[in-house]
Amino acid sequence: MVQAGSKKAPPSKINSKAGISSLIIFVVLLLAWIAGFSSRLFAVIRFESIIHEFDPWFNYRATAYMVKHGFYNFLNWFDERAWYPLGRIVGGTVYPGLMLTSGSIHYLLHLLHINVHIRDVCVFLAPIFSGLTSISTYFLTKELWSPGAGLFAACFIAIVPGYISRSVAGSYDNEGIAIFALQFTYFLWIKAVKTGSVFWAVAASLSYFYMVSAWGGYVFIINLIPLHVFVLLLMGRFSNRVFTSYTTFYILGLIFSMQIPFVGFQPIRTSEHMAAGGVFALMFAVAFLKYLQSMMSKSEFKTLVVFGGIASAAVVFLSVVLLTYAGYVAPWSGRFYSLWDTGYAKIHIPIIASVSEHQPTTWFSFFFDLHILVATFPAGLWYTIKNINDERVFVVLYALSAVYFAGVMVRLMLTLTPVVCILSGIAFSGLLELFLREDDSARMEESEEEEQSTPSKRMYDKAGRVPKMKHEQSKDTSDGIGPNLRSIVTVVVLLLLMLFAVHCTWVTSNAYSSPSIVLASYGNDGTRQILDDFREAYFWLSQNTADEARVMSWWDYGYQIAGMANRTTLVDNNTWNNSHIALVGKAMSSNESAAYDIMTALDVDYVLVIFGGVIGYSGDDINKFLWMVRIAEGEHPKDIRESDYFTEQGEFRIDAEGSPTLLDCLMYKLSYYRFGELKLDYRTPAGFDRTRNAVIGHKDFQLTYLEEAYTTEHWLVRVYRVKKPDEFNRPRIPVANRVVKSTNYVSKKNTKRKKGLIKNKPVIVKGKRLSSRQ
Amino acid sequence: MRAPWCILAMLLYTFCGVTDTQKRPGTTLAERVQQLTDMSNKRAVLRFNANKFRDFVKATPRNYSVVIMFTAMAPQRQCQVCRHASDEYTIVANSFRYSQSYSNKLFFAVVDFDEGSDVFQMLRLNTAPVFIHFPPKGKPKNADTMDIQRIGFAAETLAKWIAERTDVQIRVFRPPNYSGTLALIVLFGIVAAFLYLRRNNLEFLYNKNMWGMGALFFCFAMTSGQMWNHIRGPPFIHKNQNGQIAYVHGSSQGQFVLETYIVMFLNAAVVLGMILLTEAARGKGDPKKRKIFAVAGLILVSVFFSLLLSVFRTKTQGYPYSFLFK
Repeated sequence: MVQAGSKKAPPSKINSKAGISSLIIFVVLLLAWIAGFSSRLFAVIRFESIIHEFDPWFNYRATAYMVKHGFYNFLNWFDERAWYPLGRIVGGTVYPGLMLTSGSIHYLLHLLHINVHIRDVCVFLAPIFSGLTSISTYFLTKELWSPGAGLFAACFIAIVPGYISRSVAGSYDNEGIAIFALQFTYFLWIKAVKTGSVFWAVAASLSYFYMVSAWGGYVFIINLIPLHVFVLLLMGRFSNRVFTSYTTFYILGLIFSMQIPFVGFQPIRTSEHMAAGGVFALMFAVAFLKYLQSMMSKSEFKTLVVFGGIASAAVVFLSVVLLTYAGYVAPWSGRFYSLWDTGYAKIHIPIIASVSEHQPTTWFSFFFDLHILVATFPAGLWYTIKNINDERVFVVLYALSAVYFAGVMVRLMLTLTPVVCILSGIAFSGLLELFLREDDSARMEESEEEEQSTPSKRMYDKAGRVPKMKHEQSKDTSDGIGPNLRSIVTVVVLLLLMLFAVHCTWVTSNAYSSPSIVLASYGNDGTRQILDDFREAYFWLSQNTADEARVMSWWDYGYQIAGMANRTTLVDNNTWNNSHIALVGKAMSSNESAAYDIMTALDVDYVLVIFGGVIGYSGDDINKFLWMVRIAEGEHPKDIRESDYFTEQGEFRIDAEGSPTLLDCLMYKLSYYRFGELKLDYRTPAGFDRTRNAVIGHKDFQLTYLEEAYTTEHWLVRVYRVKKPDEFNRPRIPVANRVVKSTNYVSKKNTKRKKGLIKNKPVIVKGKRLSSRQ
Repeated sequence: MRAPWCILAMLLYTFCGVTDTQKRPGTTLAERVQQLTDMSNKRAVLRFNANKFRDFVKATPRNYSVVIMFTAMAPQRQCQVCRHASDEYTIVANSFRYSQSYSNKLFFAVVDFDEGSDVFQMLRLNTAPVFIHFPPKGKPKNADTMDIQRIGFAAETLAKWIAERTDVQIRVFRPPNYSGTLALIVLFGIVAAFLYLRRNNLEFLYNKNMWGMGALFFCFAMTSGQMWNHIRGPPFIHKNQNGQIAYVHGSSQGQFVLETYIVMFLNAAVVLGMILLTEAARGKGDPKKRKIFAVAGLILVSVFFSLLLSVFRTKTQGYPYSFLFK
């Protein structure tokens, strides 16, 4: 559908009437919106309107709280159900943009008497915003290149899997709205640079404010825009337009961004934001030099520029370094530092390295998420560099930095996707525009015309190179490539684009539309079986446990327990306190009695583990277990050692050859309790773990300190109750250490009254010597 | 002729042994600690031969730990690993020597195979380097031998292992490595000098082709997963037991180095095809050339993209689509 729409795009550029062309643009964008929206609905259609995964559950819970209690109460919300016993100040540790957006949509709809549950607003928020993203991508590309390229880019971004992965219905997360804010901010910034008007710069900073309120990735904007300005300076493209727009944007953006409680004073206190400040100071230095230029001779000025420029850059750089050194400016945080020094996280911050999103990206993921775009966007980049101007410098820098970050971290594929769509749009529209033309004599290229319309210093072009010989062109156009070849090329390109559309749909349907709290398995005959174990367990928790019961689980499930079961958790996906997580990891990786000490110290009532051995679910706790050990080892190196959990050969095995420490630890026992008796089918022996394809090594054991409370239908979630000290068989205390309680009860049979016997009583016979009967 | 020498040597040896054993009761714990401290004041890593090993490590009443690296540093042994290990070990020893926590509870020593081969025999060691911690009381346990196969012997891991075994926290202080910075400065210097020499002809800086090629190459390198290779260090190609060579990693989670080069080439070919097609249609040069360009571009795009797609297919289970090739 989208491709059909984009086919119409090129005619829109050939000057027909303005009305028709804007109608076509409108129709194409509308179709892109509808296609993008509907291809994100797989999960809703297959399962139900439900919030997905982990983080969205927290966002949903926070939104529901805000809708119920109002915005100010939300900002002051202290959540005592998370991070027991520490609690969490939610209002100050959250980007409120997402909650505000859906909350205001909900409010608006209720104002119109459309009674929608807040959950449905949350579920459908990301698909709706994807349409807005494609529209803002259209505007951005239109500013950069041409409306035709813009339509291509809009269609691409509507359905590209790299973006869909974060914005399917139910994936209620910051990224869903943040990409829209990102693209819109960039559009307004480009507009500001092109026009040099304060209006557009203010609009850009307002959009930046929305971005800051929505996602931590705003740091990308506040570094990319200064980089753009800095490179423009280096290229000698400094102008009053750039000066006006950047200074306006920076000051307003700075003040706005500091209004978000979570961001606070970070924009002036952390290294991530220092580049922006440095460029701001540099702009003034350069502007001052320009001012001096007007009253100096040329040779004087040249030396001044060289020395003044270098000196001011050095002063700015040194002052930032000094401030960092003196402690006024915080150094790079670990997450950002690991982007540069790629080995850093693995050594120093296991909690960052443990998240699968923070792994580097294989070529497979690039192709999987971008398909043909990954192979064609460099062509767009090539033409952008060949026809460079002020705003295209921006898109080049955007592409290069985003492609680097995407290479380092899978998660940042999301920031690469929009620019890849823009550049591929430029490449494809450039191609099809030329090939779909009826005859060659039609016109000069659109791009060149547009370039002439924008006032820019063409510093890169030598004087003699630009004008083309008129007679040569007229000779060329008389004889083209020929209509047959033209149509073949067009058909092939359209086939490729269709392949792209099909690929996107397939990937969306197969990879990105699983809610991950409801699983589906398919039988050989195509029947579908729904595994709803997670919700079953959470519902059980909410119905059968005390309201203030504390549930210990690995941090992945913290948000879900809080959101669905409404119980207190110890750790959750907001991984702010590493030592608390390490304590839970230590409990999971210690033996039962050591774990019991930790659990009583933390007042744990229930322990929840995810076990996939019955159905072959690979994302379970045993597979995550080594990370628990590593994180625990980071904080408690004396008690937990990663090497203890490997066999002599350095393997991680759960069968009889596995290391004894592993077979005795709490996580192993809780996962495999009673599993040794279970025979899954007649081919495999009892206690066969389908996820790891092995028979478990430790089968018949009893739990001393815990008891099984609930196990779901497919054993996916197992809940255990921690016994109270008086419930379990206490270990034998040596007689010497026993303290016997003194009671008031005195036995009537005391020694005086009792008539007893003395064993081996010596028999005394008068006149004989004492002897014992033996 | 040779036998008497041998006997003589043995005699000498036993004699030495006797004098040694005679001397040993004389050296009290305090004296030994004093000797060790004196020695370690001179050098952070003590060199032990068989006798010293016996005197200071095997002697029973001890209140200090000794960490010993057993190594073979002599050039004829050709032990490259030993050299690296020795460097790291020296860093740890020096960090301890000049740190706040320096005490006479822990000493660092090295036993070279060529100086103390009997020590190697005594401990039944037949590889080098080996790090063993000798605790103050009792014999070294299993965990007192550092598992360098698994965790390596970087100074940080050494320090961590020592902290585990002896409770002495050593903060590793590496003598700063200036070679990287120096290389960077030299590079900058060369570039600056080059620019200065060609200051009258800086046109090449404005060469868009050069910049474009650079940017494109960077994109190809990133999208073909070179960063993954850099971080994970996969093998170049994979050889299985039957001697068959796999160029493409079977699962979607991994990749080989050669595979990424192939992908990079395929991506570049598709991009070249796109550019050729556009240039052909743009209308410069004579029509015949343009036609050839267009056909070449079309073939490049379609063929190499289908190749890319089929490589992708082999890595994805159940991926249904292909173009031109299966």
